[in-house]
Amino acid sequence: MSKLDFITLEVIQNSLQAISDEMFAAMRKTAMSPIIYEVLDMGTAVTDGHGNLATSGAGIPAFVAVLDKAVQRIIELNQGDIRPGDVFATNDPFFGGVTHLNDVVLAMPVFVEGELVAWTANIAHWNDVGGMVPGSMSNEAREIYQEGLRLPAVKIVDQGQPVRAVMEILRANTRLPDFLWGDLWAGVAAVRLGARRIQDLAAKYGKDVFVQALDHFMAYGEEVSRRALRELPKGKFYLEEEQDDGRIFKVTVEIRDDRFVIDLRDNPDQHEGPYNLCRDATLIACQLIFKNVTDPFSTVANAGTFRPLEVLTRPGSVFDAQPPAAFGFYYEVEIRVYDLIWRCLAPYLEDRLPAGHFASICGTVIGGPHPDTGRHFTIVEPELGGWGASRYSDGNSALFSGFHGETFNCPAEVAEARYGLYVEQLRLNDEPGGEGYFRGGKGIVLDYRVRSDGCFLTIGYTRSKQRPWALAGGREGSPNYVEIFRKDGRREVYSQVTALPLNRGDLIRIHTGNGGGYGDPRSRPREKVLEDLKNGYITSEIAREVYGLEV
Amino acid sequence: MAERKVQVAVDVGGTFTDLVALYADPHTGTQRVVTAKVDTTPPEFEKGVLQVLQKGGVPVGETALLIHGTTVVINAITERRGVKVGLITTEGFRDVLEIARGDRPDFFNLLYRKPPPFVPRYLRREVPGRMTYRGEERSPLDTNVLPGILEDFKKEGVEAVAVCLLHSYANPSHEERVVQEIRRLWPDVPVIASHEITREWREYERTSTTVLCAYVLPVAQRYLDRLGQGLADQGFGGQIYIMHSNGGVETLERTKRVPITMIESGPAGGFLGAAELGRLLGEPNILALDIGGTTAKCSLIVDGQVRIKTDYWIERDRKSSGYPIMVPVVDVVEIGNGGGSIAWVDDFGRLHVGPQSAGAQPGPAAYGRGGQDATTTDANLALGRINPNYFCGGEIEADMDAVNMALDRLSARLGMKREEVARGIIRLANNNMVNALKLVSVNRGYDPRDFTLMAFGGGGGMHAVALARELGMRKVIIPWAADVFSAFGMLMTDLRRDYLITQLISLDTPQAASRLSWLAESLTQTALEELKAEGVPLERARLLYFGRIRYENQEHTVEIPLPPPPYREDSLSQIAQTFHEAYEREYTYRLNAPLEFVTLHLVLGVAIDRLQVPRMPRTGRSLEEAMKGVRTVDFDLEGVQPAKIYDGHSLEPGMAFEGPAIVETKGTTVVVHPGCRAEVDDFGNLHIYL
Repeated sequence: MSKLDFITLEVIQNSLQAISDEMFAAMRKTAMSPIIYEVLDMGTAVTDGHGNLATSGAGIPAFVAVLDKAVQRIIELNQGDIRPGDVFATNDPFFGGVTHLNDVVLAMPVFVEGELVAWTANIAHWNDVGGMVPGSMSNEAREIYQEGLRLPAVKIVDQGQPVRAVMEILRANTRLPDFLWGDLWAGVAAVRLGARRIQDLAAKYGKDVFVQALDHFMAYGEEVSRRALRELPKGKFYLEEEQDDGRIFKVTVEIRDDRFVIDLRDNPDQHEGPYNLCRDATLIACQLIFKNVTDPFSTVANAGTFRPLEVLTRPGSVFDAQPPAAFGFYYEVEIRVYDLIWRCLAPYLEDRLPAGHFASICGTVIGGPHPDTGRHFTIVEPELGGWGASRYSDGNSALFSGFHGETFNCPAEVAEARYGLYVEQLRLNDEPGGEGYFRGGKGIVLDYRVRSDGCFLTIGYTRSKQRPWALAGGREGSPNYVEIFRKDGRREVYSQVTALPLNRGDLIRIHTGNGGGYGDPRSRPREKVLEDLKNGYITSEIAREVYGLEV
Repeated sequence: MAERKVQVAVDVGGTFTDLVALYADPHTGTQRVVTAKVDTTPPEFEKGVLQVLQKGGVPVGETALLIHGTTVVINAITERRGVKVGLITTEGFRDVLEIARGDRPDFFNLLYRKPPPFVPRYLRREVPGRMTYRGEERSPLDTNVLPGILEDFKKEGVEAVAVCLLHSYANPSHEERVVQEIRRLWPDVPVIASHEITREWREYERTSTTVLCAYVLPVAQRYLDRLGQGLADQGFGGQIYIMHSNGGVETLERTKRVPITMIESGPAGGFLGAAELGRLLGEPNILALDIGGTTAKCSLIVDGQVRIKTDYWIERDRKSSGYPIMVPVVDVVEIGNGGGSIAWVDDFGRLHVGPQSAGAQPGPAAYGRGGQDATTTDANLALGRINPNYFCGGEIEADMDAVNMALDRLSARLGMKREEVARGIIRLANNNMVNALKLVSVNRGYDPRDFTLMAFGGGGGMHAVALARELGMRKVIIPWAADVFSAFGMLMTDLRRDYLITQLISLDTPQAASRLSWLAESLTQTALEELKAEGVPLERARLLYFGRIRYENQEHTVEIPLPPPPYREDSLSQIAQTFHEAYEREYTYRLNAPLEFVTLHLVLGVAIDRLQVPRMPRTGRSLEEAMKGVRTVDFDLEGVQPAKIYDGHSLEPGMAFEGPAIVETKGTTVVVHPGCRAEVDDFGNLHIYL
């Protein structure tokens, strides 16, 4: 290969990134459900013919390395029955689905000159796939069978023709068939679009050069990680942490010149409820923190990137759950293990890791009849929260969790029209917590006033008792929880609840945590304390007692 | 007094202030065009304007029309030279500006810093009172808190006040009352309310827009006053219009009230010019590309219409979420690839181009001002595409030693020959631009092969043919005076106002037609009343209606043209038909789902008295006389070939030639690849057929 052909490889790689992004944009614009188009609980990717990750569409970092695992399983289970024009679907963690039944993966093989050279794939949260409660996610679930329809890596489009039988089963197994239909077609259109673009690309440069470009790109990803590893502090790092429910999670991270080993074997047995991870989901959490510490500033993340990473789990444990485990709230466990590793490494990697953030998706599901239209509405949204302070600065206020990226909150004006609730306030959280030389960012307080009878609330928050952790002598942050103010004045407090009945006039008040602080609050510069006081970020009592401000 | 027959456009850009002046002789009817360029003079931009008028020899006293595009607003924001703003908003929502939307574009970086709000928390204050999304009052406005708030603002040195209340897009009466109260209590303070800028929903975006408008209000007003005074001092008595981001011009008075609408003033001129020129040439479908020193911008023109969007953000990129400004802006994709973009090699031996730019200082290595880095311009010099002996129109002697040194540094790192590096730089730069061109065409369901590529800006002609070939396009147009085309475009624009108003209407309900008619008719009335109050004859007004519609439950809308009101049942089914077709073109499928109307977009156009684009005289000069010689040029995949070199200033209508050829003017170089044919049209534009 002449030297100039390396430029061609570069051009192909840039174009692949553009294709992943284009699939992402197309799907986002056409999806029916706000959780896809606004919350961006979705991802897109291109893999090589074997399911090795090449590029992924911008969006959610926690979804970057999901789709390769799904495609690999689809290949394994459909060997000999993969043809041009096919589209496969899986949502089951025991069949390559990785996360929970609500997340449906669609994947399409791309053939050039008769050879399978790539896959285009996407994953998106479908609002309802059946199961025991609306929205399919229940804190009461004990088995995956209770969580909805399982799609075990099956064909839904056969050589361009929709497989009617599967389609009809899909439509029959949801409470929201119109949404499902819209989201399904948005996903199919996106993989088809990506496949067409890849065919054009491969046709232009030739199949062999295209394949070579993918290999070359992955070798580059690996080289970036290996070099970064050499810069990291070496050794074995250990942490154990108590969870809200009293269980202890443990991790050992060993960083060597050529390997990064995360050992999660010594952990509790799988959860009786829906708070479990399959091994692939655990792997994703590990891959994300690995990327965060090795190469945080570039968006290149492909199969090569993660080659130096090794993850050890124990089958039957909460991080490697076996059938018939339930997975509805998998993401809270996933962010727990992510935060556990982050916390384990932070004291040694302060130049890239801040103190703990609110570290919960704070997934909030509210449903019921829309008072103005009479139609059923469902909110499925994560919440904003406070981020930890770092060695360099105060923490960010009101961002989505470390699993999110290009995720946007729903404007109050849109929410009031769409959901028929009143958003009574959205403000920064005034509770104490997160004080330090640099202080943690603020969480939020968000009020939804229910406007019709027969509504419900489902949440599964963590970091509700065990608060966001601090660094270098800072103070812990504040907890995530929900208050309910009943119309008659009664007050209730929750962090996990399923299908709680709500009626007209009731108020839901969501609190998300302030991030952890960094360093001794008493050493915070006085002018900054005064400025915080002026802005109402702290009270005069905190200024005096925690920051030692003398008035 | 001399008859005023001069029309002038002045475009203040980041680096240069450009002038295009059009002269008409009232007796003979002949016209001529003069162009000039001076350095931009921040922060006193008006000085550059007066200088360029002088340099171009424009008789200011005889000038009938001056159209002005300026970076003064965007400059004040990016350099943080605005004023201290106080914000008044709805009770419970003062933190919206700081909370923003919660996104983190640099999503692997856990040390991401969220951009700080333009108004600190202690200057964000709340008033009780609520509207619903339907514009009904839910709880009354309480203005009793205002005197206290304004006292605090005064004490803190606030210089402008922004007002943004929830659901004011649906009903602005609370905002109007707050503004009235502020004007009564504190008559001197500049104040702006969100509904005066936009009637679209999304409170964070509207608040940010209002705050940024207040932030530049005094700055822009002072600038426009000084400019008006400076011109008046020179005897100017004509009409001044300001170029706005929506591709139209607006009066000075209205611009002073809502200056934020000129945020993308300059680039808009070029794209509107491309649309107008396309119309003149019978080319309604144009892919327009503007390649400058640091960036390339592109936009799609369909049926002679530029696309307008209102989800514009500044300082937004992969590293930062930036700040939204919800005003109508020509839909442009911009990438960090221009003539000054630096080529560099990363730690892994991979070559990249941009987004860092050598700017004007030190500039490309060829400037000989100490620039060590090879830029796209240097690569074009090395390949013989740019003439080193006529660099920047002969104003700068190209320092080829510096060019070679810069390229050799990359050669050493990459293990490639110098010319291979130069070709590699051009290929990567072209690939970046091709991806941007695809974003505005292919990604929106349009096949670039159905379009003509119109390329301008200093670097447009250099890359256009290669890009068109890559995209399978058959024709390229390089406009006359391509390097000052943004200013030229301004002379082709009319007054344009975009009115957008959000109102949800389910299109399958019985009242839909009457509600839509009422909305369109009342908005039309508002627009025409404003015009009448300004003394403009209404018969000059042209009204175009567009609707942003979606499938029920979707978020994203597709904008389609609407017939004029009133609407009946059958007009609704026609609208639905248009929507389904537009949706399918963009997204490859359609749904059998109910439609929801979200936003009405009314475009008001008013023709202003302006001269027509002049035809270029024919002197009978032969093509040979325009030829400067022959030079060896590297066309990459098409090989190294001798190319004929033409002096662009000597080309005349009717001339035609084949590639390989190069056309050189003072401000641009046009590369005509082998196998292409070029023709000069009646106006001096170069048409290249691939």
